[in-house]
Formats: sequence, structure tokens, C-alpha cells
Amino acid sequence: MDLRYSDTDREFREQARAWLSTNVPRHARPAHGPEAAAFDRAWQRKMFEHGWAGVAWPKEYGGLGLSGLQQVIWYEELARAQAPHYINTTYIALMHAGPTIAARGTAEQKTFHLPRILSGDSLWCQGFSEPNAGSDLASLKTRGRVEDGVIVVNGAKMWTTDAVYADYQELLIRTDPASERHKGLTWLICDMELPGLDIKPIRTMLQDEHVNTVFYDDVRIPKTSVVGEINGGWSTALSTLSFERGLGFIGDQLELYERVCRAIDLAGKVRLDSGKFALEDDGIAQKLAGLKADSLAIRSMTLAHITESDRTGEPGPNGSLMKLIVTATHKALSETVGEILGWSFLEFDGDRTAHPWTYDYLWSWVFSIAGGTSEIQREITADHLLKLPRAR
Amino acid sequence: MFLALDRDEIEVANAAADFLASAMPIDRLHKPGCADMNAVLRGTLAEMGWFALTLPEADGGSGLGPVEHALFFREAGRQSGPVDVLTQALAVLACTDTDLRAILLAGSEGVALLVPDGAGLRLLGAPDAAYALQVTREGAQLFALAGGQTTERPALAPACSMRLLDSPPGTAIAYTNGEHIWQMGELGTAAMLLGLAEAALDLIVEYAKVRETFGRKIGAYQAVRHPCADMALRAEVARSQLWYAAAAMAEQRSDVALHLDAAKHLCNQAALMNADTNIQLHGGIGVTDEHNAHLLLKQAMLLGKLFGGKRALLSRLVDATVQD
Ligand SMILES: Cc1cc2nc3c(=O)[nH]c(=O)nc-3n(C[C@H](O)[C@H](O)[C@H](O)COP(=O)(O)OP(=O)(O)OC[C@H]3O[C@@H](n4cnc5c(N)ncnc54)[C@H](O)[C@@H]3O)c2cc1C
Repeated sequence: MDLRYSDTDREFREQARAWLSTNVPRHARPAHGPEAAAFDRAWQRKMFEHGWAGVAWPKEYGGLGLSGLQQVIWYEELARAQAPHYINTTYIALMHAGPTIAARGTAEQKTFHLPRILSGDSLWCQGFSEPNAGSDLASLKTRGRVEDGVIVVNGAKMWTTDAVYADYQELLIRTDPASERHKGLTWLICDMELPGLDIKPIRTMLQDEHVNTVFYDDVRIPKTSVVGEINGGWSTALSTLSFERGLGFIGDQLELYERVCRAIDLAGKVRLDSGKFALEDDGIAQKLAGLKADSLAIRSMTLAHITESDRTGEPGPNGSLMKLIVTATHKALSETVGEILGWSFLEFDGDRTAHPWTYDYLWSWVFSIAGGTSEIQREITADHLLKLPRAR
Repeated sequence: MFLALDRDEIEVANAAADFLASAMPIDRLHKPGCADMNAVLRGTLAEMGWFALTLPEADGGSGLGPVEHALFFREAGRQSGPVDVLTQALAVLACTDTDLRAILLAGSEGVALLVPDGAGLRLLGAPDAAYALQVTREGAQLFALAGGQTTERPALAPACSMRLLDSPPGTAIAYTNGEHIWQMGELGTAAMLLGLAEAALDLIVEYAKVRETFGRKIGAYQAVRHPCADMALRAEVARSQLWYAAAAMAEQRSDVALHLDAAKHLCNQAALMNADTNIQLHGGIGVTDEHNAHLLLKQAMLLGKLFGGKRALLSRLVDATVQD
């Protein structure tokens, strides 16, 4: 066990820091709409053109082919530079569609999609969940009729984040009509321009419309878009979910420490109703100190996971634990800042830049529900890590 | 000693529930321009005499007491009612000028609530309010609001708009000394928070009985049913203390302030935590704008700051003692 960075790692950090110091966009990301998606694409393209996209992606697909540890360093530097948040319209493409295609796609799929993902040319969305299939994903009902060369899709997906801006979708459907649960599913690349697709935005409590319901009316998807096997889609979906649960929150994992420090800063400047600075209040100071400890531990967990999987080549089994601690810390931090900010915390119009802490507080529930609820993360931990007997 | 609702009190509660469910149902908050108590609602509430509930009969009121006040505002809370309903009722109690009181009682003019924010002041409630009420433990002051001296701020809670007052409101046109108005405000706010906590519990209990995953109702999973039980516990704890506080106030006991502070603290907590858990246990549907779950949360955050926030209440509670 050692904490020493190699010379290469240190050099990489210095270069990253230097580049970010002059290249992070000076204007805040627009809160909503096509302008936001255009901003994300432009930032991704800029990183790509300057050789910073896909730090740990294989070189053959346009990545830098570096280690997981260097990926961590990159995210730390992004957080320090207050670069645009990594959960944006490029998120699904970079965090799971790309890795899934790299692991399970055909040569043609890799050659076509991976460079476009890295350069910000194609944005993706995830069409797994349905109105009646969220926690219980395997109960999904959107069906695909397998015909000559095409799969004809009918049904509806719900909660599809950024479907309006996406060029492609990870689409999980039932292709064997006689099948149940995990059997008979297929993982498809769905081109969002295809006829028969209809997208209806869902407004959220954050006053945005980034999630959608997507309706499919005889949407004809070529068989060459299947990732993995027809009727073997569950196995591909598990890869997707393992990427989501493995590295999916790395940005938050490494940013939390910075955010706790910013909150401590804030507490030193803002006065409570009593006239005291917030940091002079024992309750608040202790909460912030505890959160700092949590954020340090999250960073340690991240380094442990990443350096272990750099060695073994496998993602670790602790993704559910990571999601639990990251989401809980995120929420506790937002609540504490709410106590510090007082009345201004109760101002909100949906603009993340204008009301960052309130936005983050409301995001707490998205965070603890989307991508598998906290209850389900505990179930997964009890089932797979602890091998406890099941009630279900 | 009888610490539960008697027949008359139940009647008041039912009448308030029925009336408010049609006059200001929580679903109104899904329509544009839904914030605050508008002139129409103000008129309807006035006509039914709700602003006069605790005003002495000699002054033209119903002469009822803190218990009925709490019962009414608990139902207002269930509907995520605008703060200015409470403000108007408090202004009626605080107003010593009979002509002005008649105007407020009739709902012809509205009153916004004035709260300190650091060195400045915030106004909560309808932008067309002609008056502003500021309440402290020392007393209550009513100000006339001339137009054009406020800046609108975006309000997180859809039921209540929020403005900054650009300059101090001038001299009060009416005031009362003493803690009574504050206590009626604290009691009313606590009751609204209790209503929110109960509404959150009702929503999730109903949903957990119908939503299915893995072939079972989600209410069958301990991960869902136990937090529901905790929500019921928080509501019960808050409710019991609120009834005690209301009764203590009705009997003018010397330890009212302590019981009220305890009740307000517990209601703050029950509303916020129940609203939080309610969203979480609904899954995705719980974070949608169209669902009522977030309305309960945002309203709980707002009311938690009025008439006693957490820190102020807790520091007062440490030293206070009960009367036998
Ligand atoms: C903002 C947002 C963005 C999203 N983005 C996407 C996306 O881009 N693509 C996509 O495919 N999906 C997306 N989702 C969907 C998300 O994955 C689901 O909402 C989530 O898995 C929960 O499913 P559900 O909403 O159907 O809730 P349900 O499964 O109905 O759960 C309701 C409640 O019951 C609990 N519960 C259910 N089953 C059990 C059990 N067995 N044991 C214990 N507790 C249980 C849950 O924890 C939850 O509290 C998104 C969701 C949100 C809110």
C-alpha cells in the first residue's frame, strides 16, 4: 500500500491543471434547452480536440489509453477548476453507451460510434425504464417483432433523460413474446431520428424538462443495431449497469471534497439570524467537519476501487455502496448549506447557475432514485456482497 | 383531562376540511398564477367567517380559541395553503383600529407577512396586498404598503410568492404588544406543518398499497413499510404535542411558550422528513412536477422558517420548564 503518484501521474496532473486553467468555459452552462445541449457538445469537442477526451478509453477508439488512476486525476482537476458538471447531455454516451459498445459491440459499431461519442458529435440517452418497470426492470414490456433484417418496436419508455437532444438511445426491449423477466430481451441502438418515435417531456420538481416519455409506433430498427445477442439483451444491460454503478458517479465522488470546502468557505462569510457567522455555530461546524470526513472517505474508496480494477481489469463489486454514500453525502451537504443560507436557499427558478445549492438539494432525490433507488442499492448489497437470504 | 378532539372540535375540523378541499385544493398549485391567496379566495374565506374564527364575539368574531385555530390551519396545511391565509387571520387579531379591522375581516384588502432576513426584510404573500404584518414575540405591527417598493424573488414554494422590501415600511398604522399574536402564528404554522406531514403519510400509504414491483405491492417490502411506520410515528408525536400546546394556550397556562416551541420543532421535523420520505418511496413519479409530493416538501421548507426555525426553537427549549 502506498500513496505515491508516479512521475507520469504527476506530470499528467500538471498538464491537466495547466490546460484547464485557461480552457474551462468562462460562461456558465445555460440552464435548459437546446442551448444547454449545444454547450455540452462544444465543451466535449474542445476537450476532444485538445486530446483530453476518454482518458482511460482505449487508444484505438480515440481515447488516451491511460490508467484508471489518471482518470481519477483528471476528474479531480475538473472539479478543482470548476469545469462544467460531468452529468450533462454527454453523460449517457460517455459513461455507459460508450463503455457498453466497447465491451459488447461489433467492430462496425465500435468504429462508427465510439469516436463520435468522444468528440461530442453524438449524444445518447438510456431507454431502459418504463412506467411499470423501474426497480423491477426485468418486467419491461416494450416489444420488438423480429422480421427480416429489422426489429419493429412498439411500446413506451419512461424517464428517458435528454431524449430530446440525443442522437441515439440504448434501448432495451422484449423480442421474444413468450419470454418472461430477464429472458427474451434485446439491447438495441435506436437512432432517435427514426420514424414512429414520439417524445413527450416530463416536468420535474427541479422545474426542468430533461426527462421524457418516448413512444414507439412501429419503429423499424435494423438488426445490425443489436448489441450482444437477440434475446440475450439482459447480459448486455448488466454490462451497462455495471458501468453506471462502477464509474458512473466518479465526478461527484471527486467533487464532493471541493464542494464541502466551498460550503465551509460560505459558512465563514454568511451570518445566521443570530448575527453569528454560520461557521461559529457548533452544530453547523460539526456537520461540515463530518461531511469533510465523508468526502475524504469517498475519495479513498474511489482510489481503492480504481487502483484495484487497474490491476485486475474488472470493475469492483462495491458500486452500490458507492452510490449510497455519494447520494447521502450530497444530500446532507445540501441540507447543511440550506441552514447556512437561510432565506436565499428558498429562492429557486430552475436555474442551476443562479441557485446552485437549492438545485443540488432538489437533485438529491433524483440522485437517490434514478439509476436504481437507495432501497434497491441496499438490496443489491445484501444479496450480492453479503449473500444474505432474500425475502423477495 | 381529555387530550383529544371533542364532538364540537371534530365538527370544526370537518367543516374546515370540506371547505378548504374545495376552496383551495392542493391541485390548484399545478396551474399558472396559483401562488398566494388571491382576492377571490380572500373573499370566499372572509364570507365563510374563517378570518374571524378566534376573534372575540364582542368584536364580531366567532369567539373560538387556539384549538379551533390549530384545527383550521392543519387542514390548510394539508392543502399546502398560502401563508397569507394565516397572515390575514393574525392581522385581524392584531388590528386595534375597528375600521381597518372591518376591511381585513371582509377580505377587501390583503395582508402580506413581513419577515426579517439579515439586515433586510422579506414579504411573503400576494403582491396586491395593501398591508404588511410583522410579528415578533414582543408584539405585532401592521404597515400600509405603498406600491413599487419591492423586488420580486423567485420562490421555491409555489404556494407563496416572495419579495424583498427595498426600504423599511415606515411607521406602523396599528400595533399590539405582547406575545399573543406570535403564539397564534407559531401555533397556526405548526398546525399547517402537521397537515403537511399527515398529507405526505396519506399519499405514500395509498401508493404503497397499489404500486407493484417484482410481483408484490411495494408496501410489502420492509424498505418501504418501515419508513412509512416512521412517518406515522413522527405525525403522531407532532400531533400529540400540538394538541397539548393548543389546549395549554386555550387555558392560558404559564408554560404555553415551552409547549408551543416543542410542538413547532416537532412539526417542522415531521413535515420535512415525511415529505422527504414520501418522495423517495414514490420512486421516479415522486420527483415529477405533476405529482403533489414536491409541493409538500417545498411548503415544509418555507413554513419551517416561520415563527421559529430549528436553531431558535432548540436554544429556547433547553432552559424552559413545565407547569404541573
Ligand atoms: C430524474 C430521473 C431520471 C431518470 N433517467 C433515466 C434514464 O435516462 N433512463 C432510464 O432507463 N431510466 C431513468 N430513470 C428511471 C429510474 O431508474 C427509476 O425511476 C428507478 O429505477 C425507480 O423505478 P420507479 O420509478 O419505477 O420506482 P418503483 O420501482 O416503483 O419504486 C417505488 C419505491 O419502491 C421501492 N421499491 C421497489 N421495489 C423494492 C424492493 N424490492 N425492495 C425495496 N424497495 C423497493 C423503491 O426503492 C421506491 O422507493 C430516471 C428516473 C428519474 C427520477
